Amino acid sequence: MSKLFEETRSLKAPVWGVIPRAAWPLVVAIAIGALVYFGVSPLVGGFVSKVMLIVGINIVLAVSLNIVNGYTGQFSMGHAGFMAVGGYVAAGIVYYGSIKLWGSAEPAGGILSIVQEGPKAGPLWGKGDFLFVISCLIGGLVAAGAGYVVGLPSLRLRGDYLAIVTLGFGEIVRVILQGSHDQIQPWKAADAAAMPVYELAWKLGGPKGFNLVPTYTTLFWVYFWAALTCIAAYRLKSSSSGRAFLSIREDEVAAQAMGVDLTKYKVRAFVFSSFFAGVAGGLYALDIGAISAGDLNFIKSFDIIIMVVLGGLGSISGAVLAAVILSILPEALRQPPSLVPWGWVAIAVIALVMGAVLPKGKKLKPIIVLVGTAALWEGLRFLATSVHVNLPDYRMIIYAILLIVLMIVRPQGLFGVRELWDLKVFKRRGGGA
Amino acid sequence: MSAGAMLEVRGISIAFGGLKAVQDFSLSIPRGGLYGLIGPNGAGKTTCFNLLTGVYTPNVGSIAVDGVDVTGLPPHQIAVAGLSRTFQNIRLFGQLSVLDNVLLGLHLRGRHSLASTLLRTGFHVSQERAMAALAMRLLETFGLANRAEEQGKNLPYGDQRRLEIARALATEPKVLLLDEPAAGMNPQEKKALRELIQRVRREFGVTILLIEHDMGVVMNICERITVLNFGQTIASGTPDEVQNDPKVIEAYLGTE
Ligand SMILES: Nc1ncnc2c1ncn2[C@@H]1O[C@H](COP(=O)(O)OP(=O)(O)OP(=O)(O)O)[C@@H](O)[C@H]1O
Ligand SMILES: [Mg+2]
Repeated sequence: MSKLFEETRSLKAPVWGVIPRAAWPLVVAIAIGALVYFGVSPLVGGFVSKVMLIVGINIVLAVSLNIVNGYTGQFSMGHAGFMAVGGYVAAGIVYYGSIKLWGSAEPAGGILSIVQEGPKAGPLWGKGDFLFVISCLIGGLVAAGAGYVVGLPSLRLRGDYLAIVTLGFGEIVRVILQGSHDQIQPWKAADAAAMPVYELAWKLGGPKGFNLVPTYTTLFWVYFWAALTCIAAYRLKSSSSGRAFLSIREDEVAAQAMGVDLTKYKVRAFVFSSFFAGVAGGLYALDIGAISAGDLNFIKSFDIIIMVVLGGLGSISGAVLAAVILSILPEALRQPPSLVPWGWVAIAVIALVMGAVLPKGKKLKPIIVLVGTAALWEGLRFLATSVHVNLPDYRMIIYAILLIVLMIVRPQGLFGVRELWDLKVFKRRGGGA
Repeated sequence: MSAGAMLEVRGISIAFGGLKAVQDFSLSIPRGGLYGLIGPNGAGKTTCFNLLTGVYTPNVGSIAVDGVDVTGLPPHQIAVAGLSRTFQNIRLFGQLSVLDNVLLGLHLRGRHSLASTLLRTGFHVSQERAMAALAMRLLETFGLANRAEEQGKNLPYGDQRRLEIARALATEPKVLLLDEPAAGMNPQEKKALRELIQRVRREFGVTILLIEHDMGVVMNICERITVLNFGQTIASGTPDEVQNDPKVIEAYLGTE
């Protein structure tokens, strides 16, 4: 009947491609997780590893929020709320699950999920790992369910109104979770083990937060999920669904006229995005072994929004890059490292590469920006030491100023809606114009 | 009313506050017809399109496409039923590529579940390929294939108008509504557009309703014309009949 379906039948994709296409993201995610965890982490030491972990969780958060705020152009301010939902669910499952299953709330993972200093030894996979993986998944699913419930009625609202509703959602989640009952402490594990699940489900620590949860989150799991999030976001963006999202952002009236069901796609974006927020919440809670709804307030939501805006609304690579920069920056400003000498060597190499790769006439500006930023950094350090100012005291101010400058210089964000690999630099090389 | 009409509109009306923007508008276009809708500025022509495509819901009256009642349906379902349109003030997806704009038009004839998208199932991949091939063919028909990768907003004005028509056609409409496609074009472009509209009608077999201020375009290609003034239908008939209708002349010359 429809031309499209006739075409579809005649262009059947080869069957053997199906399974690899469905499975390679998992393989890649495992590989990236393993590389970071076994390869990079031992080289860079504990502090940098810790920062990398924060970076990874923020990548999951920024890339997922980007689907709602970036692709679909809806302004959600409730991402931390979904994170809290996922985090509490995951923490609850792991904590009470451990007590129910083996009577204690001690971590029971293998080397994939136990943070150890030095060389990693022991079994790869422990009994607790199942619980951990499942808890993050369920945390994500419950958050996705919350996304559906919030999304369905509120996505009829536009712009500011939606922003207010999602803000309200985040705050309601916080208040409700802070009203939960006292946690059953680990030394009373026997009591907990005797209680039915539905009673335990609400003993989440209330205003004191949910503490002493066994920890499982490692760089492996964080980067596994970060990779999965990015691949899923990419698949979404480069498909009909993704185009539908973008069309809603561009022009709702025209999108509808093209047959795009606004509610369906807005809710789809919301559900998808809150799933990964929930997973990130699980990773977060099971990293520090505690979660407190008070920490996941609207300020946390704003942190993620800033990443998305800075990276460029709609750009996956932009969101990743912004998550990296904005997670490292506050840490780097704690103890501003000098660029002498290796930083300058790296910058010289980057500048040379840029000089070789960039098209003629467009070489100068990016190189000046790069070198200028580095020089500014050194200058600031020098100034601070010579007038005895403790830079870390002012780090949040510097951070804010940098943000303002970036937004003035590039209001569309680092990449706009485009991706790193879309940039002209890479296109030009591919030949053809 | 005629049996087997492709577009059958009966007595639709809408008021914005006290303003009766469209009153008791009726129209029946047979399969494959090319009809015109004209009237002075603010007569209610665009509002008619908005009613037909579900942007507004008529207070009274009914709309049927190929015998299927679409009154009161949301816009995306009306698009599925086979009514597609262009906009007076071009509404392309400016940041998306020309190709993506057309692909969005093809969207509603496919199935796009979240699972098949994320897993890249065989169905999903072959569907995306088929869509891309179809979209490229459409762009070729419209002479836009060499600009497929450009952002919609970067096209020259005339190309943007044509892209809007291509995008609307991609939905495989039964009825195509064109809102002042010649606006802002020079005489040469207008002539090309006239030919394009006739070709589209021939090759795609769509029924067309055309809003146009340019009498040269309307009078030459439309079989029948309906004239609106202050939301009311003041005349309807063949171009000759309409041109000589005293009420139409009065409306256009603005005598009180
Ligand atoms: N959403 C709305 N709310 C209030 N008034 C409206 C709305 N849409 C249209 N109108 C009014 O309805 C009348 C008809 O407008 P419409 O846009 O349909 O005219 P038109 O015939 O398309 O004119 P033009 O030739 O200038 O495009 C105008 O007076 C307009 O101001
Ligand atoms: Mg109009």
